Amino acid sequence: MKNESPPNRMQEIWQCQPVEDTKMSVEEIRKRATKFGKKIFWRNVREYVAGTIAIVLLAFSIARSHNVLDRSAFALLIAGMVYMMYQLHRRGAAQSVSASAAPGPSLEFYRGELKRQRDLTSTVWSWYLAPFVPGLVASAVGSAAHNLHPWHIAVVTFWYGLIAAFFVLVWRWNARAARCLQRMIDDLGTME
Amino acid sequence: MSKAGTLPAVKSRQDELYDEAAASFGPAIERLAHAYEADRDIRRDLVQEIHIALWRSFAAFDGRCSLRTWLYRIAHNVAISHVIKQRRSKGPGLIGLDDLPEASSSHEAADRNQDLARLMDFIQRLKPLDRQVILLYLEGTDAASIGEITGLSARYVSTKVYRIKEVLARRFNAGGRNEE
Repeated sequence: MKNESPPNRMQEIWQCQPVEDTKMSVEEIRKRATKFGKKIFWRNVREYVAGTIAIVLLAFSIARSHNVLDRSAFALLIAGMVYMMYQLHRRGAAQSVSASAAPGPSLEFYRGELKRQRDLTSTVWSWYLAPFVPGLVASAVGSAAHNLHPWHIAVVTFWYGLIAAFFVLVWRWNARAARCLQRMIDDLGTME
Repeated sequence: MSKAGTLPAVKSRQDELYDEAAASFGPAIERLAHAYEADRDIRRDLVQEIHIALWRSFAAFDGRCSLRTWLYRIAHNVAISHVIKQRRSKGPGLIGLDDLPEASSSHEAADRNQDLARLMDFIQRLKPLDRQVILLYLEGTDAASIGEITGLSARYVSTKVYRIKEVLARRFNAGGRNEE
């Protein structure tokens, strides 16, 4: 054994390593597959419930507000929220298809996963951030219009400026991640 | 009637294929999961996820490739998804003390355990496709089959396998061979 070459010895060590014996009967697999499906279902339900609560709160704000600008802002935020939730649902459905693992070669699968991630991150502006911009702009204008005192305008500008900075940060961070993913996809091209 | 007669036959073929795959490649799936996930509890989930994906996939198995190729493709693809998900949520995992192989009183066994721990540490740092090539190599898969499973070119696989042998020889000759 000691005279074996390291690669062969490593193959032998690898194949003889102690492993846990995860034996599952077909019945158990079937049960777990159903349970897994339910888990995904409830995760989606939780996300939709959270979104619905936000929408209900905004709708409540519309009902309470008498100012046209404020009501428009809340309505635009609701529209943004609905659009974002629809996109999450659409993109989440695509993810659960890929997560069930296709029987294709790994290179193809890996490239597909990276492309999906790249598309998700590179378009984050259009489906995750932009839908809220009209509502936020209307809300900022509405807040400023309540009181035209320079100090109030400065406070409103500060808070909405912070939100804008956060949006830019999220966008830049995702754009960087998308570039990194693109480099990984390009690297895969050399392996074919 | 015909529906009731057809459905169990399809299921039983799927079940039979799964049973055959699990019996023949169960330990290989465990080893693969170990190379992709250091945390013991998450690893158990990964193994179960692979088994579920396999069972599901056999409903569509058409025999165009071998059972082994099919199984490794599914298992590695689930593992790749897992790596991407984990990297997004918490970064690369580390081996915990509990995950190191059991210590043994015999020098030879202790030495093997140390080599295995180092090998595992080395594998867990690799990019998914490089990791896949080395895992298949360690499982004794030939270069042509590695190419079929991964979709990588034969030339690329041969170069990689050559590099793997070189790296293993260098890393595992240099350290841990005190008695030689």
